[in-house]
Amino acid sequence: MRQKDDWHLTDALAYEHGRGDPFAAAVRATRMPMVITDPAQPDNPIVFCNEAFQTLTGYDREEIVGRNCRFLQGPDTDRASVAKVRAAIEEETDVSVDLLNYKKDGTTFWNALYLSPVRDDAGTVVFFFASQLDVTDRVEAQRIIAGQKEAIEREVEARTADLEAALAAKTLLLHEVDHRVKNNLTMIGSLLRLQARNIPDPAIASKLEAMLERVDALATVHRRLYQSEDITRFDVGAFAENLVTDVVGASGRSDIVIDADVACIEVPSSQAAALGLILNEVVTNAIKHGFAGGRSGTIMLRASVAEGCASIEIGDDGPGFERSGAESSGLGTVLIARLSKQVGATPIWSDAAPGARFTLTFPVDK
Amino acid sequence: MINRPCAPLNVLIVEDEALLAMDIEAMVEDAGHKVVAEAASLFDVEDLDSTLVPDLAFVDVQLAQGTNGIDVCHLIRERWSDAFVVFVTANPLKIPEDYAGGHGVIPKPFSRNGLLSAMRYIEEGVCDPPPTSPQPASFIAAPAFAASWK
Repeated sequence: MRQKDDWHLTDALAYEHGRGDPFAAAVRATRMPMVITDPAQPDNPIVFCNEAFQTLTGYDREEIVGRNCRFLQGPDTDRASVAKVRAAIEEETDVSVDLLNYKKDGTTFWNALYLSPVRDDAGTVVFFFASQLDVTDRVEAQRIIAGQKEAIEREVEARTADLEAALAAKTLLLHEVDHRVKNNLTMIGSLLRLQARNIPDPAIASKLEAMLERVDALATVHRRLYQSEDITRFDVGAFAENLVTDVVGASGRSDIVIDADVACIEVPSSQAAALGLILNEVVTNAIKHGFAGGRSGTIMLRASVAEGCASIEIGDDGPGFERSGAESSGLGTVLIARLSKQVGATPIWSDAAPGARFTLTFPVDK
Repeated sequence: MINRPCAPLNVLIVEDEALLAMDIEAMVEDAGHKVVAEAASLFDVEDLDSTLVPDLAFVDVQLAQGTNGIDVCHLIRERWSDAFVVFVTANPLKIPEDYAGGHGVIPKPFSRNGLLSAMRYIEEGVCDPPPTSPQPASFIAAPAFAASWK
């Protein structure tokens, strides 16, 4: 018997009785499936397989010994992985690879194969030692996770595309609505102006004029809101200054001097229209009554915030409240009272001697 | 600029909304100027009599027949290089940074007081710069136009 066949003797060993080669007994009894092949024989056949290998593959020892390991391969075994094993054998190096293998009953299992050459003292490869591990559960789990990940990624991609499309549609709609609001506000103003030009009765014309100014105030509020960086906040101080400048500028009255000292007063945009209308009533009234009959003078505007309370003051140096028929029952006065209540503001009229003064105070966020 | 136009200015109105065109025309006349022509699209501007010499044009951005105010501005600057162009638009952000050679913008919705003060300010900037009135919130001068006053 050649020396390299010595291990065959171990087959006959009764390891359960603790006799013979203890290493060979360990290889036989381990739960790790193992084979040994002999590269000196044609086609490098299996010359030993343990019990665990037989259990794993379903073949008996007689069906295994003498065959090349490739008998475990099947149609779905990855060719590239097989090529890796072949290359390792040719290069006489070790290799670790996951292979899809087939059992005797035709079912498949994932085989974590570790193959290494066994050399003699001269360095010649005398055997290849191969251990197998059924890692079907692990590979399956990875495959399922990879599949799920891919499915989720596809789903996320589809959802993102849906959301982007929805956002684009909403943005377009918002722009369209915004454009229409602006155009309609402009057209309402234009209609009123065109009508106002054709009214011969000065009393009616002046009422329409006042209405036109209210619509214009709303238009200005809207314009300032969309032009500001934060559309949820409205600077009522800047609006007041804008209003006074426009009213005086449009009147062409270079004899009315504006004395403005205005701090930024930010209010929520929901209060913008109401505050804008209140200020419009006061400012247009001051110009109409405080500087009537070509009387020159100064219009004073103050806007300040202190300890959570905002204050806007508008004053003229005209005839004060003794002036001809300051309309206490007109729509303007009613608007100021009701809108002030709506936004929690307090309107106060006072005689400033000379002139009239209006003060609006309201709470603001600190 | 050597030949500064004097008031009353000859004004061209380019606006596709009939109501707004009528309204602006009335206000231009209230301000003491003269409307020499109205146009609703780029094609209308192309068809204008070349003997017209507008000093100032109010130009909407979205115009009839799929045309726009930016192209109109280029055309006006090409045909009447001395004319001043002021955009009147609900979308001031659509105006390019260089104002396409134009001189400023009046954002919609405009108010009468806003438009009249803007017109007074523009008149001062055109006829007798720099303007002496405070700049109204209803008018934004193009950077190049504002720089010409310094």
